[in-house]
Amino acid sequence: MNFDLSDEQRALASAARDFFSKAASPADSRAALEDGSPLAPGLKAVADTGFHAILQEGGTVLDLSVVATEAGRVLSAPSIAGFGRVSVLDPTADLTAGVSVVDAGPALDAATATVFYALRDGQLVRGAGTVTSGPPLDPTRGLADVTLTEVTPIDGADRWEHALRVGQVLLAAEDLGTAERAVEIGVQYAKDRKAFGRAIGSYQAVKHSLVNAFVGVEQLRSLAWWAAWAADENPAELPLAAAAVKGLAATVLEQATETLIQVHGGIGFTWEHDAHLYWRRAKVDRFLLGDDVEAYDTVARLSLV
Amino acid sequence: MNFDDTPEEAAYREQVRTYIADHRDQLISVGDGARREGDLTRARESQRVMYEGGYVGITWPKDVGGQGGSPMQQAIVDQELGKAGVPGHVGLIGIGMCGPTVISHGSDDQKQRYLKRLLSCEDIWCQLFSEPASGSDLAALRTRAVREGDSWRINGQKVWTTLAQYADYGILLTRTDPTLAKHKGLTMFVVDMKAPGVTVRPLRQMSGSAEFNEVFFDDVIVHDSERLGEVNDGWRVGLTTLMSERLTLGGGGGEMGISGGTAASFIASQIGSLSEDRQALVRQDFGRVWTQLLATRYTGYRLLSAISKGAMPGPEASAGKLAGTKAGRQLADLAVRVSGDGGVWFEGPWQASQAGLPGLAIAGGTDEVLRNVIGERVLGLPPEPRADKGLSFEESVKL
Ligand SMILES: Cc1cc2nc3c(=O)[nH]c(=O)nc-3n(C[C@H](O)[C@H](O)[C@H](O)COP(=O)(O)OP(=O)(O)OC[C@H]3O[C@@H](n4cnc5c(N)ncnc54)[C@H](O)[C@@H]3O)c2cc1C
Repeated sequence: MNFDLSDEQRALASAARDFFSKAASPADSRAALEDGSPLAPGLKAVADTGFHAILQEGGTVLDLSVVATEAGRVLSAPSIAGFGRVSVLDPTADLTAGVSVVDAGPALDAATATVFYALRDGQLVRGAGTVTSGPPLDPTRGLADVTLTEVTPIDGADRWEHALRVGQVLLAAEDLGTAERAVEIGVQYAKDRKAFGRAIGSYQAVKHSLVNAFVGVEQLRSLAWWAAWAADENPAELPLAAAAVKGLAATVLEQATETLIQVHGGIGFTWEHDAHLYWRRAKVDRFLLGDDVEAYDTVARLSLV
Repeated sequence: MNFDDTPEEAAYREQVRTYIADHRDQLISVGDGARREGDLTRARESQRVMYEGGYVGITWPKDVGGQGGSPMQQAIVDQELGKAGVPGHVGLIGIGMCGPTVISHGSDDQKQRYLKRLLSCEDIWCQLFSEPASGSDLAALRTRAVREGDSWRINGQKVWTTLAQYADYGILLTRTDPTLAKHKGLTMFVVDMKAPGVTVRPLRQMSGSAEFNEVFFDDVIVHDSERLGEVNDGWRVGLTTLMSERLTLGGGGGEMGISGGTAASFIASQIGSLSEDRQALVRQDFGRVWTQLLATRYTGYRLLSAISKGAMPGPEASAGKLAGTKAGRQLADLAVRVSGDGGVWFEGPWQASQAGLPGLAIAGGTDEVLRNVIGERVLGLPPEPRADKGLSFEESVKL
């Protein structure tokens, strides 16, 4: 047994961090929220790196998931989960066209997509559609309701379930990065901010809530790696692993971002502070690709036998 | 990344499995009560049989009776014992905590005299650290050791000492110089639990059984050759024990005080008799708890992989203990909940688990203390101010 990333995967993560930390930040999320500015890094910039096509180029879900975690740290858009899911559904898809998979409800990355995928009467279809969006809670997810206009049937309905699970695993890997970053920011503030003559991080109420969030992040990292590995190497374990990591990602990210706000006090509640941008991710991602209640129910159904 | 055994690991696993199968009738079983029987004969026998096969003290050096093996081999043996329904060895505290302390700090003579007998369970060991006035704040302990020629005279009291009522030896942390800062004046000894002046009184736990004890030392004489490490260096010696404890309690992907698979089967067998509404609620609770247990298992595997590459188990190892203990308690609670009307009677294994698991959040460092350790040593948050900072032990007890 060797439950660790390889040296190559660590190098990939470090290259991804280099790119994403320069190409996107919560400031972009804020700008999109305020005046509908384009999302960052945006499709073209991500496509130039080649990260989007890792699965198409023979990379693994685990490879893509370490990239997803780095993307999650800066609230990057479009989603890595979307690239992964479409790569499984339609292995030769042109991912640079802007792709989105439509389930019931608003679809991830749909607002700027030109090619849509859906399951209609047991048949996988691909084609065009029109989109309408409500006021965004988290603008970086590019959510929109989609009405398909012209679609044609294509092969791949048998890959639908697997693609959805790969999407869940990658979305959870993004959430891992977001939660990890939220805890880092909270810890830093707790070291810097003083009250009653000492750093607030020395107070146990503050320290322990950050530790609880940190423990959650480490638990999530373990499931995120395992689930990505299962997607690559052990499909029999994937249904359980994908449901477990999807559920835990929702729980952990919510806890991490709410802790981030609380640790900051009044400033954490302002529009100007970044805390709510991470929190918006948590509040939206929990509903995407099936919600956490459904995910935990699946874990139970698969395990109570 | 992979979860498969290497060819060597697979061969080792096969060998372990065969050995366990061939000796199954000499090994004890989870829930068979052997660990609470009068003289522990069956529990000792069970450990001895595994020792004779070369499966106890796997990571210990060969010259003290160990196998010079790897942490991965240790994990394989633990996993196979778990699969066969064999509980942890009755000598676990000796194997996991006292023995490693003797290996690191004992004299050659101590190693030769004690360690093989410890592994084979001819002797049972206990860890005599906590006292009525010092648990979390271990360095505040008061049991005194005073030098008399080439011996030490010991007076004081320990408490919560697991298995002391059966123990032959213990590692005993004492105060030798109260004029120094509280963690500077401590010294560690090996003590013979049958020596004159040692009195053990079992304490009944909330579950009703008595696994821990109070231990009184009245003018107990210990020869200086039984000292572990230097005089007044006992804190450092104790840290070896606590680090080994962290590995024994936190790592390897083992389960935290409850057999998750058995609990899941039980809940699965009960859930059909509930209303549909209740079934959905139970599934929601179970899914959340089971997910945490899965994550704890894989966090343990990460730790094991790191240790296999030579890393020391750091304070982050405690993250698995925090999460696993909580999930274990919730799972036991859920098993009791689905028992129906029987849930109000104290009978059956889930009631026993429910009443036993709170101890895990206290033993080996309370949850709160572990959170302090992770917060300060992993996240780098500042410690709380200490009222006893810069004081000698004598001064600190007057606070
Ligand atoms: C089942 C079991 C087996 C045990 N076996 C052994 C054994 O074999 N040998 C042995 O030596 N000991 C043993 N112990 C003792 C165990 O190590 C202590 O109980 C533990 O360290 C806590 O100490 P205490 O009981 O004195 O509680 P206290 O230290 O008095 O703690 C009381 C409460 O205060 C909290 N608290 C204390 N300090 C802090 C702080 N700085 N910050 C925040 N909260 C704090 C604690 O978390 C706890 O909630 C065992 C305990 C149990 C329950």
